[in-house]
Amino acid sequence: MSALTPIAWIVAGYAVLVTAAAALGAALRAPRPRWLDQLAWMLELLAAVLAVGALGSLARGHRPESLSTHLGYVAAVVVIMPVALLSVREDRGPWSSGVVAVAALATGVVAVRILMTR
Amino acid sequence: MTQVSEPPTTTPTTAPPKVRSGPHLVLLALYALFILASGSRAVVQIATKFDEAPVAYVLSAVAACTYVAGWFAIRRAAHGRPGFARVMLWVELGGVVVVGTLSLVVRDWFPDASVWSDYGEGYGWVPAILPVLGLIWVHRSPAAAPRGAAHE
Repeated sequence: MSALTPIAWIVAGYAVLVTAAAALGAALRAPRPRWLDQLAWMLELLAAVLAVGALGSLARGHRPESLSTHLGYVAAVVVIMPVALLSVREDRGPWSSGVVAVAALATGVVAVRILMTR
Repeated sequence: MTQVSEPPTTTPTTAPPKVRSGPHLVLLALYALFILASGSRAVVQIATKFDEAPVAYVLSAVAACTYVAGWFAIRRAAHGRPGFARVMLWVELGGVVVVGTLSLVVRDWFPDASVWSDYGEGYGWVPAILPVLGLIWVHRSPAAAPRGAAHE
């Protein structure tokens, strides 16, 4: 088992936590709290570590079955959350938490897909 | 020296209406994700193995284009112009139903899955749920009501 596997599962598990927190905020119609942004940026940091790990694995000579698909997932895992947070930067309404929930869930799914395609 | 407060200025009526926060933000996020997912999937499949399942891969590209149109349609609806969304979301739902049914009935056309194969099973059936959620929002949300109708 490479080091990539536990990192990817940590990202996926943490993404579920952020998704649940954000979805709860949206369901309760509460304004998006600052701490949710901090949770989301922490997820982004973990996703970046995963991406670096995946690129390091490629640099060491490992070749996935479909390189383009794998690289697409590696790029997506670091791009999704910043784009989502940027799109709601001036909106702290409850539905902006829903956007964070969607982005966190997608990040978790992509982290698992990185494992499946490596 | 006393300061004289100026009377409040009125907003010009020609300025575009500010879009309120609402469920359409989540719909737009989901559509953006599906543009990314289906678009990149279609590009990779068409570029690397088009001969394996041409029908499925072209339909994936069609799905990606539909999500682009759907994203713009919901954005327009959020600005009080729901006409395009009312058409586009039905087109999208029809596409999911037709392609999903064809993928089950005419298996030979789908040696590899498209985005809408099996009604979007590969994406947790979100492709089938998404246009339904969009239609519900367009028909129920005051934000998507035509301009002038929201205050009637």
